[in-house]
Amino acid sequence: MDRRVVVTGLGVVSSIGIGRAEFAVALRAGRSGARPIGVFDTDGFEHKMGCEVAGFDPRPWIHRLDPAELGRATRFAVAASRMAVEDAGLTEEVLRARRGMICVGTTDGEAHDLDRLVETELAHGPAAMDPVRARRSAATRLSAGIAHDLALSDVEATTVATACSAGNYAIGAGFDAVRAGEAEFALCGGADAMCRKTFAGFYRLGTVAPDCCRPFDKDRKGILTGEGAGVIVLETAESALRRGAPIYAEVLGYALNCDASHPVAPDQASIKECIELALRDAGVEPHEVDLISAHGTGTPANDVTETAAIRDVYGERPPPTVSLKSMLGHTMGAASALAAIACGLGITHRFIPPTINHRETDPECAIDCVPNRAIEADLRIVQNNGLAFGGNNAVVVLGRFDAEVAR
Amino acid sequence: MNPVITAWTAVSPFGIERESFVDGLRAGVAAPVTDGAVHKAAVVPGFEARELLGRKGTRSMDRLTGLAVWAVGRLTAGRPVERGDRTGLVLGTMGSLQSTMDFTRPSFVEAKPYFVDPGRMPNSIMNAAAGRCAIWHGLTGPNVTLAGGRVAGLSALGYAVRLLRTGRAPSVLAGAVEEYSDARSWIESHSGVDGVLGEGCVMLRVEPAGPHPALAEVLAVRSRVARPDEVEAAKQSCLDSVLATAGVSAEDVGVVSWSGVPGYPDPLADLIGDTGAATAMFQVAEVLATGEPGEPAVVGSVDRDGAVACALLRLGSGR
Repeated sequence: MDRRVVVTGLGVVSSIGIGRAEFAVALRAGRSGARPIGVFDTDGFEHKMGCEVAGFDPRPWIHRLDPAELGRATRFAVAASRMAVEDAGLTEEVLRARRGMICVGTTDGEAHDLDRLVETELAHGPAAMDPVRARRSAATRLSAGIAHDLALSDVEATTVATACSAGNYAIGAGFDAVRAGEAEFALCGGADAMCRKTFAGFYRLGTVAPDCCRPFDKDRKGILTGEGAGVIVLETAESALRRGAPIYAEVLGYALNCDASHPVAPDQASIKECIELALRDAGVEPHEVDLISAHGTGTPANDVTETAAIRDVYGERPPPTVSLKSMLGHTMGAASALAAIACGLGITHRFIPPTINHRETDPECAIDCVPNRAIEADLRIVQNNGLAFGGNNAVVVLGRFDAEVAR
Repeated sequence: MNPVITAWTAVSPFGIERESFVDGLRAGVAAPVTDGAVHKAAVVPGFEARELLGRKGTRSMDRLTGLAVWAVGRLTAGRPVERGDRTGLVLGTMGSLQSTMDFTRPSFVEAKPYFVDPGRMPNSIMNAAAGRCAIWHGLTGPNVTLAGGRVAGLSALGYAVRLLRTGRAPSVLAGAVEEYSDARSWIESHSGVDGVLGEGCVMLRVEPAGPHPALAEVLAVRSRVARPDEVEAAKQSCLDSVLATAGVSAEDVGVVSWSGVPGYPDPLADLIGDTGAATAMFQVAEVLATGEPGEPAVVGSVDRDGAVACALLRLGSGR
């Protein structure tokens, strides 16, 4: 018989707060992570804002590895993982006795290190590249680094590189492994560090907003690039109840599909199909969904296409549909993981985090985006969207855990 | 019922067809090498995406993506995927270092730091090849990119099996791809890697046992993470685990292929070079090409960042 899978630990590195408690406060307050970018040189760019993780020292969270040997995204991933483990009331010793999975999603891995290697190559030739940066640039390290730092060996560690929906992919992989009994726990989520490459790319495409990200607004100007990591602990409900662990949410199901039509443009029919597949996998009818956490990048194309797909599934009155990217920027591979954590916190603390920076909803994105202020809400079922370049759609459905009511 | 492999192909330094790979293995002579940036390179001879795939849709396609698109085409040539049948794709790759670094370069030298080539932006992201394969071949099911280093092919096989067991896809194309590039040569050189750098792509069709002859049954896939001093123990543990899962005793295993184990030779790398993220999948291809029907075969690999993975296959008679 399939096991029920629950979320019992949350680890957060974000531009609006570090750790589960600070993140929850920031979500409720509608805090913005936007600030001038400092991690790379923005000279020559007219717009220089991003949602950078500023002033965060990961060293207290990294116990065994040398932080200098880890790229920025791996540091975020390791720190968020240790936070999640502690938040779940688990210890390394307990985890070491169990078979586990570590699955981290990312868009760029350590591409910021590759940017610096290119800079060195241009200035001094390729022979002058920094070997420390070269070694640590491999995206495999995002997941392997977590295992090494927590000294876990009986784990399947994978890095899922499906761009901006990768966090949801990782949660789905962990869900399947725990549900089937192939893993007793899963540490899954996503991590990315801001890099010049991706900033310049989105900038060239005209999709970087000058000041802030305004999803679903008639005057939205695009994304702000962001960074961070979100990692969750998954285990069976039975294990969580036995331990007396906090249960933030139950993973009810998920779905993956691929547009197979355009390298970058989203596809309404395919997004609709992915949502429907996810709801079916979760055993949920559309009218039961209390909240949608949208991909909601704040670009003209995404928001129109995504909200149209949502209306295709939900009709003319979809549930409240928010974009965490208004606060966090686009944290790439971490985006759907951080959004899933926000959903779990909303379920637990009974509130809907707002879509901030909102002035006037675009009639072409006719949804209730819960503008600017969080609202109290009894959330039982939440849908979390992740969409990506390559048409890589991933939708996760979370619910409030009720031991008496098996879905 | 275990999932089965019903088709495979390899694009290798021996040639663009599976038969060239099989012939190359039989001959046992190393593929020719050329001078790369730092390393010698064993490249896929005559591989030009525009010539093989046509001019349409290949203008901005990089080598790594071209290899994958070509391989999926060869794999499915006999039984094309029908768009909308939700065939999945799981691809092990670290992406193209060359494309990623080439994309950034103009940002440092052009008049404006955003004068980069927007048409090539998708190539700078690791899921480019899987996404393009989906577009080219109409693969609308789960589309997964695993950045897995040397073990990536086994990770992809394990992921594919899970997608099938959970009913998330009716059939899955599982593969791994690597390209030779000067950028990779420099990064590998600074990471302390020597030898010949190879490239290529191996793709398998994995599906539930059914009407199509099984080339191999996937009995079990298992992985761990090991510190350098724990590799032997982790390797043994993975092996014990797949044997126990499948109820196969160690004496009955006919073929054993490992790569990346410190202190041990990599015979396949001696023929086609270090194929990076495609390493373990090339071992699977070798086993499919040369193993005896009925034999249990072990394919395992150790990545330099610590992942250890191992699969147990039972070779079928349908080959």
